[in-house]
Amino acid sequence: MAGVVAVVLVLVGLPLVLWHWRHVTSVHRYPPGTKIVTLTAVAKGGVWTRDDIVGLTYWWRKPTRIGDVPLNHGDHVVVRLRSADVLHSFAIPLLRLGPVDIPAGHTVDVEFDAKRPGTLTFLCWQVCSPEHPGLHGRFVVKGNEQEETW
Amino acid sequence: MVTANPIAEATVPTEALERPWRFNLFARWPWLKRLVRMRSFQFLVILPNLFMFYLFIISALFGTPVGNRNIIIVFVWILWWFMLIAVLVPFGSRIWCTICPLPFFGDWIQRRAVIRVRTGKSPGTENSFFGLHKRWPKRLSNIWLQNFGFLFLATFSALLVTRPIVSAAVFGILFLVATVLAPVFRLRTFCNYVCPISGFLSLYAMTATVELRSVDKDECLKCKSKACIRGSDKGWACPWNVYMGKLDRNNYCGLCFECVKSCPNDNISLFVRPFATSDVVVRGYDEVWKACIMLVLALTYSVMLLGPWGRFKDWANVSEARNWAGFGLFAAGQALLALVIFPGLYYVSIRLAKWYARADSVPTKELFLKYAYMLVPMGLLAWIAFSVPLLMVNGAYIISVASDPLGWGMNLFGTADFPWTPLWPHWVPFLQVPILLTGLYYGLRGLHKVGRRIFTDPAQLHRSLVPPAALLVGVTLVFLKLFIG
Repeated sequence: MAGVVAVVLVLVGLPLVLWHWRHVTSVHRYPPGTKIVTLTAVAKGGVWTRDDIVGLTYWWRKPTRIGDVPLNHGDHVVVRLRSADVLHSFAIPLLRLGPVDIPAGHTVDVEFDAKRPGTLTFLCWQVCSPEHPGLHGRFVVKGNEQEETW
Repeated sequence: MVTANPIAEATVPTEALERPWRFNLFARWPWLKRLVRMRSFQFLVILPNLFMFYLFIISALFGTPVGNRNIIIVFVWILWWFMLIAVLVPFGSRIWCTICPLPFFGDWIQRRAVIRVRTGKSPGTENSFFGLHKRWPKRLSNIWLQNFGFLFLATFSALLVTRPIVSAAVFGILFLVATVLAPVFRLRTFCNYVCPISGFLSLYAMTATVELRSVDKDECLKCKSKACIRGSDKGWACPWNVYMGKLDRNNYCGLCFECVKSCPNDNISLFVRPFATSDVVVRGYDEVWKACIMLVLALTYSVMLLGPWGRFKDWANVSEARNWAGFGLFAAGQALLALVIFPGLYYVSIRLAKWYARADSVPTKELFLKYAYMLVPMGLLAWIAFSVPLLMVNGAYIISVASDPLGWGMNLFGTADFPWTPLWPHWVPFLQVPILLTGLYYGLRGLHKVGRRIFTDPAQLHRSLVPPAALLVGVTLVFLKLFIG
C-alpha cells in the first residue's frame, strides 16, 4: 500500500508543484499589483507572441503575433522575456531600456514603470533571423490626456 | 628429463581456457545482499527514476522547445547516455534495467502488486500473474526486433537528441508498449524482445565487470524447486525467464535480483570479474548483427554529430533542412552500412580466416558467430570514445538545466545562468585515442581467447586470427581518422 501511495504522490504531486511554481510562486516574487507580461520571441515568422511556446506547441502551432499590449498609467511592469529558438535581444528605445539578451530557452525578466501615457515601441535589437524585422510591438499606456506623454 | 611431445607442446593447455577470477560481493558485503533481498528494493530504486522520467515527459510537453535548456534532452542525451555507456554498462552490467522506469506499470498490472509477491499457479511459475500470460512468438524470440528498432531510432537521432517533443514521443511510446504488452504476454516480454535500449545493453553487458550467478552450479542442478526461474513466496518468477543453473552470460539477466530473494539455497551472488573476459560467446546471428549495427552507428554518429561535415548534419537534420532526398540518402546509407556492408566485410574476413588457416573442418557459421565477439568490446569502447566529447563539451548544460529544468525561469540551485563552458575540449582527442586503443586491445584479446576454444594448433589459430584482426585494426584506424584527423 505504501508503494501505491508513493506512486500516486509522484504522479499527482509533481504537476501540482510545477503548476504552483508557475502560477503562484513566480508571480508573487514581485510586489502586489505588478503587471506581468510574458513575451516570447520566435524567429520563424519574426513574431513576438504572448502564446505559451512549449515543446508541445512549437512544431505545429503558428504563434499569434502580438497586438498592442495595453498598460495603465502608473503600472509597474515586469516583462518576462523568452526565446523559443535563437538568441534574441529586447529593447524599448524610448525608455532607454535594454538591449537585454534573451538566450534561446532562457527566461529573462525586465522591469519598468509606465510613468506616462503613450506608446512604447519594443523590438528585437539583434539580427536574429531573416525575419528579424517583424520582431517589434507596442505597449500602449492609457492615461489622462492632459498628462505629458512619452 | 622427459622428452616433450611437439604436438602436445603446440597445443594450448585447456586449463588456460578456464573462467577467469571472480570475487563474491555478497560474501564480502553482507549488507548488500540484505539490501537486494528486501522486497521493496527494486521499487525503491525505480521510484526516483520514475519521478525523473515523469518530469522529463512534462518538461518535453510543457517546457521550452529549446533542446539545450530542456531537462529531457540534457539529462537523457548527455548525462544519462554517458553514464549508461561509460559507467553503468561496463561496471554494472544491466544495472540500468534494475532501475528502468519503462516497465514499471506493466509489472504493476501483471503482478497486481508494487512490492509484495503473490503465490499461485500461473503457467510455468509458482506465482499468480494477471493477464493472458501468453508466450511471445518463437520467431520473434531473439533481438532482431531490437536491432531494427534501434537502427530506426538512430536514423532519426538528429531529431531525437535535439527536440524534446521527439524524445518524449519515443519514450512515451516505449512506455505504452511495455504497459500494453505486460497483461498479454508473460513476464518481461517487452524488455526481452522489444525494447531497443535493452538490445544493446544485452550485448555490451557481456563485457561488464559484474555478474549475477549461482555460487555453486551443482547446487542449482540438485535444486528441485527452481525457484529462481519459477518464483516462490519470497520472489517473483524471473521476469527475464533465466534459469540460474544455466546462466553463463550477462546478456539476458536484467539484475532485478528476484532470484536472490527466491533462491531457497542462498546460492546466488553478485560477483566482480575482469573487464571483457568472461562472457565471450556470441550466440546467434541476431547478436552478430547487433554488434555490427552498434559499431556502425558509433561511426555514423561520430561523423554526423562530431565531424566537420555540415552536409551530413543537414541530411540527418531533416526537420530543419527539409532536404528529404538527403535524408533518404543518409537513412539508406546508414542502414546499408549497418545491415549489409559491414556484416559483409566481416563475413569476408571470416572466409579469409578459414582459407588462410586451412580450417575446412570448422564450419563457417561457427567461426562467424564466435569471432564476432571481437566487435563487442571494440563497439563499447568506440561508443565511449564518441560519448566523451558530448559530456566534456556540453556537460555545462547539466548545471544550468538542473536549476531550471523546464526553461521557465526557475533558479532552484542558483545555477540557471551558468554559462556554456566546454571542459578542456582540447583534451578530447587525447582521451578518445587511448579509449579506442583499449577497445582494440580487448577486441583482439577476446578474438584470441575465442580462437583458442576452436583451434588447438597455435599456427592455425594465429592464421585464423589475421583477417578478422585486420578488419578490427581497419575499423580502429577509421575511428582514429575521424577523431584526430
